[in-house]
Amino acid sequence: MRVRRLLGVVTIVVLLAIWEIVARAKANIYVPPPSQIATTFVQQWFSPAFGHDAVPSLWRLLAGYAIAAVLGVAIGIAIGVSVPLYRTLDPLLQVLRALPPTAVIPAGILVLGIGDAMKVAVIAFGAIWPILVNSVDGAHAVARERLDTARNFGLGRGETILFVIVPSALPQVFAGLRIGLALAFIMIVISEMVGGSNGLGYAILSAQRTFSIPEMYAGIVLLAILGFALNALFSLVERRVLAWHVGATEAAR
Amino acid sequence: MTAASERDLVLQVVDLQKRYAGGNLAIERISIDARRGEFVSIVGPSGAGKTTLLKTICGLLAPTSGRVVLDGRPVTAPPPEMVLVFQDYARSLFPWLSVTSNVAFPLRKKRLSASEKRRLVDEALDAVGLHDCASRYPWQLSGGMQQRVAIARAVAFRPEILLLDEPFASVDALTRADLEDLTLRLRDEFGITMLLVTHDIDEAVYLSDRVFVLSKPPSVIVAEIAVPLPLPRDQERTRSDALFLTLRNQVHRLIGAHAASTEDADPLAPERIPAR
Repeated sequence: MRVRRLLGVVTIVVLLAIWEIVARAKANIYVPPPSQIATTFVQQWFSPAFGHDAVPSLWRLLAGYAIAAVLGVAIGIAIGVSVPLYRTLDPLLQVLRALPPTAVIPAGILVLGIGDAMKVAVIAFGAIWPILVNSVDGAHAVARERLDTARNFGLGRGETILFVIVPSALPQVFAGLRIGLALAFIMIVISEMVGGSNGLGYAILSAQRTFSIPEMYAGIVLLAILGFALNALFSLVERRVLAWHVGATEAAR
Repeated sequence: MTAASERDLVLQVVDLQKRYAGGNLAIERISIDARRGEFVSIVGPSGAGKTTLLKTICGLLAPTSGRVVLDGRPVTAPPPEMVLVFQDYARSLFPWLSVTSNVAFPLRKKRLSASEKRRLVDEALDAVGLHDCASRYPWQLSGGMQQRVAIARAVAFRPEILLLDEPFASVDALTRADLEDLTLRLRDEFGITMLLVTHDIDEAVYLSDRVFVLSKPPSVIVAEIAVPLPLPRDQERTRSDALFLTLRNQVHRLIGAHAASTEDADPLAPERIPAR
Protein backbone atom coordinates (compact mmCIF):
# COMPACT_ATOMS: atom_id res chain seq x y z
CA MET A 1 0.00 0.00 0.00
CA ARG A 2 2.74 2.41 1.00
CA VAL A 3 4.89 1.40 -1.98
CA ARG A 4 1.94 1.86 -4.33
CA ARG A 5 1.27 5.35 -2.99
CA LEU A 6 4.95 6.24 -3.31
CA LEU A 7 4.88 5.10 -6.93
CA GLY A 8 1.98 7.48 -7.65
CA VAL A 9 3.91 10.41 -6.18
CA VAL A 10 7.00 9.47 -8.21
CA THR A 11 4.92 9.59 -11.42
CA ILE A 12 3.79 13.14 -10.66
CA VAL A 13 7.31 14.27 -9.80
CA VAL A 14 8.77 12.73 -12.98
CA LEU A 15 6.12 14.35 -15.19
CA LEU A 16 6.72 17.74 -13.55
CA ALA A 17 10.47 17.32 -14.08
CA ILE A 18 9.97 16.53 -17.79
CA TRP A 19 7.67 19.55 -18.11
CA GLU A 20 10.24 21.75 -16.36
CA ILE A 21 13.07 20.62 -18.69
CA VAL A 22 11.03 20.91 -21.91
CA ALA A 23 9.53 24.30 -20.94
CA ARG A 24 12.96 25.74 -20.13
CA ALA A 25 14.47 24.39 -23.36
CA LYS A 26 11.65 25.66 -25.62
CA ALA A 27 10.95 28.92 -23.71
CA ASN A 28 7.33 29.18 -24.89
CA ILE A 29 5.62 32.00 -22.91
CA TYR A 30 2.27 30.20 -23.10
CA VAL A 31 3.66 27.18 -21.25
CA PRO A 32 5.78 28.39 -18.32
CA PRO A 33 7.85 25.86 -16.35
CA PRO A 34 6.30 24.40 -13.17
CA SER A 35 8.84 26.21 -10.96
CA GLN A 36 7.57 29.56 -12.22
CA ILE A 37 3.92 28.47 -11.76
CA ALA A 38 4.76 27.38 -8.22
CA THR A 39 6.29 30.75 -7.37
CA THR A 40 3.29 32.58 -8.81
CA PHE A 41 0.97 30.18 -6.99
CA VAL A 42 2.49 31.09 -3.63
CA GLN A 43 2.46 34.84 -4.38
CA GLN A 44 -1.09 34.80 -5.71
CA TRP A 45 -2.94 32.49 -3.38
CA PHE A 46 -1.16 33.10 -0.07
CA SER A 47 -2.67 36.60 -0.30
CA PRO A 48 -6.05 38.37 -0.02
CA ALA A 49 -6.82 37.03 -3.51
CA PHE A 50 -7.65 33.70 -1.86
CA GLY A 51 -10.47 35.37 0.05
CA HIS A 52 -11.53 37.30 -3.03
CA ASP A 53 -11.67 34.39 -5.49
CA ALA A 54 -11.31 31.00 -3.86
CA VAL A 55 -13.60 31.56 -0.86
CA PRO A 56 -16.61 32.74 -2.95
CA SER A 57 -16.14 29.76 -5.28
CA LEU A 58 -16.09 27.32 -2.38
CA TRP A 59 -19.05 28.97 -0.74
CA ARG A 60 -21.15 28.77 -3.94
CA LEU A 61 -20.02 25.23 -4.55
CA LEU A 62 -21.01 24.07 -1.07
CA ALA A 63 -24.34 25.94 -1.14
CA GLY A 64 -25.30 24.54 -4.54
CA TYR A 65 -24.09 21.07 -3.66
CA ALA A 66 -25.92 21.05 -0.32
CA ILE A 67 -29.18 22.01 -2.06
CA ALA A 68 -28.63 19.28 -4.66
CA ALA A 69 -27.80 16.69 -1.99
CA VAL A 70 -30.78 17.44 0.26
CA LEU A 71 -33.33 17.74 -2.55
CA GLY A 72 -31.83 14.90 -4.59
CA VAL A 73 -31.84 12.38 -1.75
CA ALA A 74 -35.25 13.40 -0.37
CA ILE A 75 -37.04 13.49 -3.73
CA GLY A 76 -35.14 10.44 -4.99
CA ILE A 77 -36.13 8.29 -2.00
CA ALA A 78 -39.74 9.50 -2.29
CA ILE A 79 -39.87 8.53 -5.98
CA GLY A 80 -38.07 5.24 -5.33
CA VAL A 81 -40.53 4.03 -2.71
CA SER A 82 -43.67 5.06 -4.56
CA VAL A 83 -44.64 2.95 -7.56
CA PRO A 84 -47.00 5.60 -9.06
CA LEU A 85 -44.41 8.37 -8.64
CA TYR A 86 -41.73 6.12 -10.11
CA ARG A 87 -43.82 5.29 -13.17
CA THR A 88 -44.82 8.94 -13.64
CA LEU A 89 -41.44 10.58 -13.15
CA ASP A 90 -38.75 8.08 -14.12
CA PRO A 91 -38.92 8.82 -17.91
CA LEU A 92 -38.64 12.55 -17.19
CA LEU A 93 -35.59 11.94 -14.96
CA GLN A 94 -33.95 9.88 -17.67
CA VAL A 95 -34.33 12.79 -20.12
CA LEU A 96 -33.13 15.46 -17.69
CA ARG A 97 -30.10 13.50 -16.51
CA ALA A 98 -29.00 13.10 -20.14
CA LEU A 99 -29.00 16.88 -20.62
CA PRO A 100 -25.51 18.40 -20.29
CA PRO A 101 -26.08 20.71 -17.29
CA THR A 102 -23.88 23.46 -18.73
CA ALA A 103 -26.57 23.97 -21.37
CA VAL A 104 -28.91 25.56 -18.83
CA ILE A 105 -26.48 28.34 -17.85
CA PRO A 106 -27.77 30.80 -20.52
CA ALA A 107 -31.32 30.21 -19.30
CA GLY A 108 -30.12 30.63 -15.71
CA ILE A 109 -28.58 34.00 -16.57
CA LEU A 110 -31.82 35.14 -18.23
CA VAL A 111 -33.94 34.22 -15.25
CA LEU A 112 -31.61 34.91 -12.32
CA GLY A 113 -28.98 37.33 -13.70
CA ILE A 114 -25.25 36.74 -13.31
CA GLY A 115 -25.09 36.94 -9.52
CA ASP A 116 -24.66 34.31 -6.81
CA ALA A 117 -28.25 33.10 -7.12
CA MET A 118 -27.65 31.98 -10.71
CA LYS A 119 -24.39 30.27 -9.85
CA VAL A 120 -25.76 28.41 -6.84
CA ALA A 121 -28.82 27.43 -8.87
CA VAL A 122 -26.89 26.04 -11.85
CA ILE A 123 -24.50 24.17 -9.55
CA ALA A 124 -27.48 22.62 -7.79
CA PHE A 125 -29.06 21.81 -11.15
CA GLY A 126 -25.87 20.23 -12.44
CA ALA A 127 -25.24 18.13 -9.35
CA ILE A 128 -28.77 16.97 -8.57
CA TRP A 129 -29.40 14.46 -11.37
CA PRO A 130 -26.94 11.71 -10.50
CA ILE A 131 -27.89 12.10 -6.82
CA LEU A 132 -31.58 11.91 -7.64
CA VAL A 133 -31.34 9.02 -10.09
CA ASN A 134 -29.10 6.96 -7.78
CA SER A 135 -31.37 7.60 -4.79
CA VAL A 136 -34.37 6.51 -6.86
CA ASP A 137 -32.61 3.31 -7.92
CA GLY A 138 -31.30 2.58 -4.42
CA ALA A 139 -34.70 2.99 -2.79
CA HIS A 140 -36.44 1.11 -5.59
CA ALA A 141 -34.16 -1.92 -5.51
CA VAL A 142 -34.36 -2.90 -1.81
CA ALA A 143 -34.46 -6.70 -1.46
CA ARG A 144 -37.99 -8.11 -1.18
CA GLU A 145 -36.98 -10.08 1.93
CA ARG A 146 -35.97 -6.90 3.72
CA LEU A 147 -39.28 -5.21 3.05
CA ASP A 148 -41.17 -8.37 4.00
CA THR A 149 -39.17 -8.57 7.23
CA ALA A 150 -40.14 -4.99 8.09
CA ARG A 151 -43.83 -5.68 7.40
CA ASN A 152 -43.68 -8.98 9.25
CA PHE A 153 -42.43 -7.17 12.36
CA GLY A 154 -45.24 -4.62 12.05
CA LEU A 155 -43.23 -1.57 10.96
CA GLY A 156 -45.31 1.20 9.41
CA ARG A 157 -44.54 2.90 6.11
CA GLY A 158 -42.53 5.74 7.64
CA GLU A 159 -40.49 3.45 9.86
CA THR A 160 -39.80 1.11 6.96
CA ILE A 161 -38.51 3.99 4.85
CA LEU A 162 -36.40 5.44 7.66
CA PHE A 163 -34.96 2.27 9.17
CA VAL A 164 -34.86 -0.14 6.22
CA ILE A 165 -35.08 1.58 2.83
CA VAL A 166 -32.80 4.56 3.49
CA PRO A 167 -29.93 2.50 4.96
CA SER A 168 -30.31 -0.07 2.18
CA ALA A 169 -30.10 2.68 -0.44
CA LEU A 170 -27.13 4.49 1.15
CA PRO A 171 -24.34 2.84 -0.88
CA GLN A 172 -26.04 3.92 -4.10
CA VAL A 173 -26.91 7.33 -2.69
CA PHE A 174 -23.22 7.89 -1.96
CA ALA A 175 -22.26 6.81 -5.48
CA GLY A 176 -24.62 9.52 -6.76
CA LEU A 177 -23.28 12.10 -4.30
CA ARG A 178 -19.74 11.46 -5.52
CA ILE A 179 -20.66 12.02 -9.19
CA GLY A 180 -22.71 15.06 -8.13
CA LEU A 181 -19.68 16.57 -6.40
CA ALA A 182 -17.59 16.26 -9.56
CA LEU A 183 -20.35 17.88 -11.61
CA ALA A 184 -20.77 20.69 -9.06
CA PHE A 185 -17.08 21.41 -9.46
CA ILE A 186 -17.42 21.70 -13.24
CA MET A 187 -20.49 23.90 -12.90
CA ILE A 188 -18.86 26.40 -10.53
CA VAL A 189 -15.92 26.99 -12.87
CA ILE A 190 -18.07 27.40 -15.97
CA SER A 191 -20.69 29.57 -14.31
CA GLU A 192 -17.96 31.92 -13.03
CA MET A 193 -16.31 32.05 -16.45
CA VAL A 194 -19.59 32.95 -18.13
CA GLY A 195 -20.69 35.66 -15.76
CA GLY A 196 -19.34 37.33 -12.66
CA SER A 197 -16.65 39.48 -11.12
CA ASN A 198 -14.91 37.07 -8.80
CA GLY A 199 -14.34 33.39 -8.19
CA LEU A 200 -11.74 30.93 -9.46
CA GLY A 201 -13.37 30.46 -12.86
CA TYR A 202 -13.41 34.22 -13.32
CA ALA A 203 -9.81 34.58 -12.07
CA ILE A 204 -8.50 31.95 -14.51
CA LEU A 205 -10.29 33.42 -17.49
CA SER A 206 -9.33 37.04 -16.72
CA ALA A 207 -5.68 36.01 -16.18
CA GLN A 208 -5.72 34.43 -19.64
CA ARG A 209 -7.28 37.56 -21.18
CA THR A 210 -4.67 39.84 -19.60
CA PHE A 211 -1.81 37.55 -20.61
CA SER A 212 -0.98 36.77 -16.96
CA ILE A 213 -0.06 33.27 -18.08
CA PRO A 214 1.57 31.94 -14.85
CA GLU A 215 -1.41 33.34 -12.87
CA MET A 216 -3.78 31.41 -15.13
CA TYR A 217 -1.89 28.18 -14.44
CA ALA A 218 -1.72 28.98 -10.73
CA GLY A 219 -5.53 29.19 -10.74
CA ILE A 220 -5.80 25.83 -12.50
CA VAL A 221 -3.43 24.28 -9.96
CA LEU A 222 -5.50 25.65 -7.08
CA LEU A 223 -8.63 24.11 -8.64
CA ALA A 224 -6.87 20.77 -8.92
CA ILE A 225 -5.80 20.90 -5.27
CA LEU A 226 -9.27 21.92 -4.06
CA GLY A 227 -10.89 19.20 -6.16
CA PHE A 228 -8.52 16.61 -4.78
CA ALA A 229 -9.09 17.79 -1.19
CA LEU A 230 -12.88 17.79 -1.50
CA ASN A 231 -12.85 14.33 -3.00
CA ALA A 232 -10.60 13.09 -0.20
CA LEU A 233 -12.94 14.63 2.38
CA PHE A 234 -15.87 12.96 0.67
CA SER A 235 -14.13 9.57 0.75
CA LEU A 236 -13.44 10.04 4.45
CA VAL A 237 -17.11 10.65 5.21
CA GLU A 238 -18.18 7.80 2.93
CA ARG A 239 -15.82 5.34 4.60
CA ARG A 240 -17.25 6.26 7.99
CA VAL A 241 -20.92 6.15 7.04
CA LEU A 242 -20.60 3.07 4.84
CA ALA A 243 -18.08 1.12 6.94
CA TRP A 244 -20.59 -1.75 7.09
CA HIS A 245 -20.97 -1.75 3.32
CA VAL A 246 -17.23 -1.81 2.69
CA GLY A 247 -16.90 -4.71 5.14
CA ALA A 248 -19.85 -6.61 3.71
CA THR A 249 -18.59 -6.20 0.14
CA GLU A 250 -15.13 -7.42 1.11
CA ALA A 251 -16.62 -10.35 3.02
CA ALA A 252 -18.64 -11.37 -0.02
CA ARG A 253 -15.50 -11.63 -2.15
CA MET B 1 -62.84 -33.08 15.96
CA THR B 2 -63.49 -32.61 19.64
CA ALA B 3 -63.88 -29.22 21.28
CA ALA B 4 -60.66 -29.63 23.25
CA SER B 5 -58.46 -30.23 20.21
CA GLU B 6 -60.23 -27.41 18.36
CA ARG B 7 -59.13 -25.00 21.08
CA ASP B 8 -55.68 -26.50 20.85
CA LEU B 9 -55.30 -25.45 17.23
CA VAL B 10 -53.17 -22.35 17.08
CA LEU B 11 -53.27 -22.13 13.29
CA GLN B 12 -55.88 -23.19 10.77
CA VAL B 13 -55.52 -22.71 7.03
CA VAL B 14 -58.83 -23.37 5.35
CA ASP B 15 -59.26 -23.93 1.60
CA LEU B 16 -56.52 -21.45 0.80
CA GLN B 17 -56.16 -20.55 -2.86
CA LYS B 18 -53.58 -18.18 -4.32
CA ARG B 19 -53.51 -16.90 -7.86
CA TYR B 20 -50.62 -14.66 -8.90
CA ALA B 21 -51.35 -11.21 -10.31
CA GLY B 22 -50.38 -12.60 -13.74
CA GLY B 23 -53.24 -15.11 -13.53
CA ASN B 24 -51.18 -18.25 -12.78
CA LEU B 25 -52.61 -20.47 -10.11
CA ALA B 26 -49.86 -21.10 -7.53
CA ILE B 27 -51.97 -22.81 -4.89
CA GLU B 28 -55.08 -24.72 -5.92
CA ARG B 29 -56.50 -25.42 -2.52
CA ILE B 30 -54.69 -26.09 0.73
CA SER B 31 -56.02 -26.82 4.20
CA ILE B 32 -53.60 -27.42 7.03
CA ASP B 33 -53.52 -26.82 10.76
CA ALA B 34 -51.07 -26.79 13.63
CA ARG B 35 -51.53 -27.48 17.31
CA ARG B 36 -49.81 -25.39 19.95
CA GLY B 37 -46.16 -26.39 20.25
CA GLU B 38 -46.39 -28.76 17.32
CA PHE B 39 -43.68 -29.10 14.67
CA VAL B 40 -45.38 -29.26 11.28
CA SER B 41 -43.60 -29.53 7.94
CA ILE B 42 -44.83 -28.93 4.45
CA VAL B 43 -42.67 -30.81 2.00
CA GLY B 44 -42.96 -30.55 -1.74
CA PRO B 45 -41.03 -30.38 -5.00
CA SER B 46 -39.20 -27.22 -6.10
CA GLY B 47 -41.53 -24.61 -7.50
CA ALA B 48 -44.51 -25.94 -5.58
CA GLY B 49 -45.38 -22.46 -4.33
CA LYS B 50 -44.02 -23.14 -0.84
CA THR B 51 -42.74 -19.61 -0.23
CA THR B 52 -46.00 -18.18 -1.57
CA LEU B 53 -47.88 -20.43 0.84
CA LEU B 54 -45.89 -19.23 3.88
CA LYS B 55 -46.16 -15.58 2.87
CA THR B 56 -49.91 -15.97 2.46
CA ILE B 57 -50.21 -17.70 5.83
CA CYS B 58 -48.40 -14.91 7.65
CA GLY B 59 -50.40 -12.17 5.96
CA LEU B 60 -47.71 -10.76 3.67
CA LEU B 61 -49.78 -11.83 0.67
CA ALA B 62 -53.57 -11.81 0.51
CA PRO B 63 -55.19 -15.15 -0.38
CA THR B 64 -57.33 -15.28 -3.53
CA SER B 65 -59.83 -17.29 -1.54
CA GLY B 66 -59.95 -19.27 1.67
CA ARG B 67 -58.75 -18.06 5.03
CA VAL B 68 -56.05 -18.25 7.65
CA VAL B 69 -57.15 -18.37 11.26
CA LEU B 70 -54.74 -17.68 14.11
CA ASP B 71 -55.97 -18.31 17.67
CA GLY B 72 -59.51 -18.17 16.33
CA ARG B 73 -59.04 -14.79 14.59
CA PRO B 74 -58.77 -14.39 10.82
CA VAL B 75 -55.41 -13.12 9.56
CA THR B 76 -55.69 -10.08 7.27
CA ALA B 77 -52.34 -8.37 7.92
CA PRO B 78 -49.07 -9.72 9.37
CA PRO B 79 -49.92 -10.52 13.00
CA PRO B 80 -47.24 -10.12 15.69
CA GLU B 81 -47.78 -13.76 16.71
CA MET B 82 -46.18 -15.07 13.52
CA VAL B 83 -42.64 -14.50 12.29
CA LEU B 84 -41.24 -15.69 8.99
CA VAL B 85 -37.59 -16.81 8.76
CA PHE B 86 -36.35 -16.57 5.18
CA GLN B 87 -33.97 -18.88 3.37
CA ASP B 88 -31.78 -15.97 2.31
CA TYR B 89 -30.45 -14.66 5.62
CA ALA B 90 -28.05 -12.29 3.80
CA ARG B 91 -31.04 -10.42 2.43
CA SER B 92 -33.30 -10.54 5.45
CA LEU B 93 -30.68 -9.38 7.99
CA PHE B 94 -29.64 -5.74 8.11
CA PRO B 95 -25.91 -5.48 7.32
CA TRP B 96 -25.64 -1.97 8.81
CA LEU B 97 -26.66 -3.23 12.25
CA SER B 98 -24.63 -5.34 14.68
CA VAL B 99 -25.91 -8.77 15.69
CA THR B 100 -27.43 -7.32 18.88
CA SER B 101 -29.10 -4.48 17.01
CA ASN B 102 -30.47 -6.89 14.41
CA VAL B 103 -32.00 -9.03 17.13
CA ALA B 104 -33.35 -5.96 18.96
CA PHE B 105 -34.67 -4.40 15.75
CA PRO B 106 -38.25 -5.75 15.82
CA LEU B 107 -38.61 -4.93 19.54
CA ARG B 108 -38.94 -1.23 18.70
CA LYS B 109 -42.58 -2.08 17.98
CA LYS B 110 -43.14 -3.58 21.41
CA ARG B 111 -43.85 -1.28 24.29
CA LEU B 112 -41.28 -2.62 26.68
CA SER B 113 -38.78 -1.08 29.04
CA ALA B 114 -35.16 -0.93 27.92
CA SER B 115 -34.15 -3.57 30.46
CA GLU B 116 -36.95 -5.86 29.35
CA LYS B 117 -35.81 -5.51 25.73
CA ARG B 118 -32.25 -6.24 26.79
CA ARG B 119 -33.39 -9.38 28.54
CA LEU B 120 -35.29 -10.61 25.46
CA VAL B 121 -32.27 -9.98 23.23
CA ASP B 122 -29.88 -11.68 25.66
CA GLU B 123 -32.16 -14.69 26.02
CA ALA B 124 -32.54 -15.03 22.27
CA LEU B 125 -28.78 -14.75 21.69
CA ASP B 126 -28.12 -17.30 24.43
CA ALA B 127 -30.72 -19.66 22.98
CA VAL B 128 -29.00 -19.72 19.59
CA GLY B 129 -25.49 -19.74 21.09
CA LEU B 130 -24.38 -16.38 19.70
CA HIS B 131 -23.64 -14.44 22.86
CA ASP B 132 -19.97 -14.08 22.00
CA CYS B 133 -20.76 -12.55 18.60
CA ALA B 134 -23.22 -9.94 19.89
CA SER B 135 -21.17 -6.91 18.88
CA ARG B 136 -20.11 -8.23 15.48
CA TYR B 137 -21.84 -7.64 12.16
CA PRO B 138 -23.78 -10.34 10.31
CA TRP B 139 -21.41 -10.32 7.34
CA GLN B 140 -18.52 -11.11 9.67
CA LEU B 141 -20.18 -14.44 10.49
CA SER B 142 -20.50 -17.73 8.63
CA GLY B 143 -23.74 -18.57 6.82
CA GLY B 144 -24.95 -20.87 9.57
CA MET B 145 -24.28 -18.24 12.23
CA GLN B 146 -26.08 -15.61 10.17
CA GLN B 147 -29.14 -17.84 10.04
CA ARG B 148 -28.85 -18.17 13.82
CA VAL B 149 -29.02 -14.37 14.03
CA ALA B 150 -32.18 -14.39 11.92
CA ILE B 151 -33.66 -17.09 14.17
CA ALA B 152 -32.67 -15.17 17.31
CA ARG B 153 -34.31 -12.05 15.92
CA ALA B 154 -37.51 -14.04 15.39
CA VAL B 155 -37.34 -15.64 18.85
CA ALA B 156 -36.73 -12.31 20.61
CA PHE B 157 -40.03 -11.12 19.14
CA ARG B 158 -41.69 -13.98 21.08
CA PRO B 159 -44.01 -15.26 18.36
CA GLU B 160 -46.43 -18.12 18.88
CA ILE B 161 -45.54 -19.54 15.49
CA LEU B 162 -42.28 -19.52 13.60
CA LEU B 163 -42.68 -19.95 9.86
CA LEU B 164 -39.46 -21.38 8.43
CA ASP B 165 -38.98 -21.03 4.67
CA GLU B 166 -36.25 -23.54 3.70
CA PRO B 167 -34.11 -21.94 6.40
CA PHE B 168 -31.25 -24.45 6.13
CA ALA B 169 -31.04 -24.76 2.35
CA SER B 170 -27.95 -22.53 2.00
CA VAL B 171 -25.70 -24.04 4.69
CA ASP B 172 -23.43 -27.09 4.72
CA ALA B 173 -24.61 -30.46 6.00
CA LEU B 174 -23.03 -30.32 9.50
CA THR B 175 -24.30 -26.81 10.15
CA ARG B 176 -27.63 -27.92 8.85
CA ALA B 177 -27.90 -30.71 11.42
CA ASP B 178 -26.94 -28.23 14.17
CA LEU B 179 -29.60 -25.77 13.07
CA GLU B 180 -32.23 -28.52 12.85
CA ASP B 181 -31.57 -29.50 16.43
CA LEU B 182 -31.58 -25.83 17.42
CA THR B 183 -35.14 -25.41 16.12
CA LEU B 184 -36.23 -28.48 18.07
CA ARG B 185 -34.67 -27.03 21.24
CA LEU B 186 -36.33 -23.65 20.67
CA ARG B 187 -39.68 -25.37 20.26
CA ASP B 188 -39.22 -27.06 23.64
CA GLU B 189 -37.67 -24.08 25.41
CA PHE B 190 -40.07 -21.38 24.24
CA GLY B 191 -43.10 -23.48 23.31
CA ILE B 192 -43.09 -22.01 19.81
CA THR B 193 -45.14 -23.78 17.16
CA MET B 194 -42.97 -24.48 14.14
CA LEU B 195 -44.21 -24.52 10.56
CA LEU B 196 -41.39 -25.56 8.25
CA VAL B 197 -41.44 -25.55 4.49
CA THR B 198 -38.75 -27.66 2.82
CA HIS B 199 -37.95 -29.83 -0.17
CA ASP B 200 -35.77 -32.06 2.01
CA ILE B 201 -37.83 -35.13 2.87
CA ASP B 202 -35.45 -36.46 5.56
CA GLU B 203 -35.35 -33.10 7.27
CA ALA B 204 -39.16 -32.87 7.30
CA VAL B 205 -39.55 -36.34 8.79
CA TYR B 206 -36.71 -35.89 11.30
CA LEU B 207 -38.08 -32.64 12.71
CA SER B 208 -41.81 -33.00 12.51
CA ASP B 209 -44.76 -34.28 14.43
CA ARG B 210 -46.77 -34.13 11.21
CA VAL B 211 -45.78 -33.77 7.56
CA PHE B 212 -48.00 -32.40 4.81
CA VAL B 213 -46.99 -33.46 1.31
CA LEU B 214 -47.49 -30.88 -1.41
CA SER B 215 -48.06 -31.59 -5.12
CA LYS B 216 -46.35 -29.69 -7.91
CA PRO B 217 -48.17 -26.44 -8.77
CA PRO B 218 -50.98 -25.60 -8.75
CA SER B 219 -50.43 -27.02 -5.29
CA VAL B 220 -52.70 -29.21 -3.26
CA ILE B 221 -52.01 -31.32 -0.19
CA VAL B 222 -51.64 -34.91 -1.37
CA ALA B 223 -51.10 -36.49 2.02
CA GLU B 224 -50.91 -35.78 5.73
CA ILE B 225 -48.56 -38.06 7.58
CA ALA B 226 -48.18 -38.35 11.34
CA VAL B 227 -44.62 -38.90 12.56
CA PRO B 228 -44.76 -40.80 15.85
CA LEU B 229 -40.98 -41.03 16.23
CA PRO B 230 -39.87 -40.83 19.87
CA LEU B 231 -38.79 -37.49 21.37
CA PRO B 232 -36.27 -36.04 21.84
CA ARG B 233 -35.04 -36.59 18.31
CA ASP B 234 -31.40 -37.46 17.79
CA GLN B 235 -29.59 -37.11 14.47
CA GLU B 236 -28.03 -40.56 14.63
CA ARG B 237 -30.63 -42.58 16.50
CA THR B 238 -33.74 -41.10 14.90
CA ARG B 239 -32.43 -41.26 11.37
CA SER B 240 -31.52 -44.96 11.72
CA ASP B 241 -34.90 -45.85 13.23
CA ALA B 242 -36.82 -48.30 11.00
CA LEU B 243 -39.93 -46.14 11.26
CA PHE B 244 -37.98 -43.09 10.07
CA LEU B 245 -36.94 -44.98 6.95
CA THR B 246 -40.48 -46.23 6.32
CA LEU B 247 -41.90 -42.73 6.64
CA ARG B 248 -39.29 -41.01 4.48
CA ASN B 249 -39.78 -43.65 1.76
CA GLN B 250 -43.50 -43.13 1.94
CA VAL B 251 -43.12 -39.35 1.52
CA HIS B 252 -40.62 -39.92 -1.24
CA ARG B 253 -43.06 -42.12 -3.18
CA LEU B 254 -45.89 -39.62 -2.73
CA ILE B 255 -43.81 -36.71 -3.99
CA GLY B 256 -42.45 -38.77 -6.88
CA ALA B 257 -45.95 -39.87 -7.93
CA HIS B 258 -47.46 -36.40 -7.67
CA ALA B 259 -44.55 -34.56 -9.17
CA ALA B 260 -44.66 -36.78 -12.25
CA SER B 261 -48.38 -36.59 -12.84
CA THR B 262 -51.32 -35.17 -10.98
CA GLU B 263 -53.95 -36.40 -13.43
CA ASP B 264 -54.46 -39.85 -11.98
CA ALA B 265 -55.13 -38.64 -8.46
CA ASP B 266 -57.99 -36.47 -7.32
CA PRO B 267 -56.04 -33.43 -6.21
CA LEU B 268 -58.69 -32.26 -3.79
CA ALA B 269 -58.84 -35.47 -1.81
CA PRO B 270 -55.66 -35.86 0.26
CA GLU B 271 -54.77 -39.32 1.42
CA ARG B 272 -54.80 -39.65 5.14
CA ILE B 273 -52.19 -42.06 6.25
CA PRO B 274 -52.57 -43.30 9.77
CA ALA B 275 -49.51 -43.71 11.90
CA ARG B 276 -48.58 -47.38 11.84
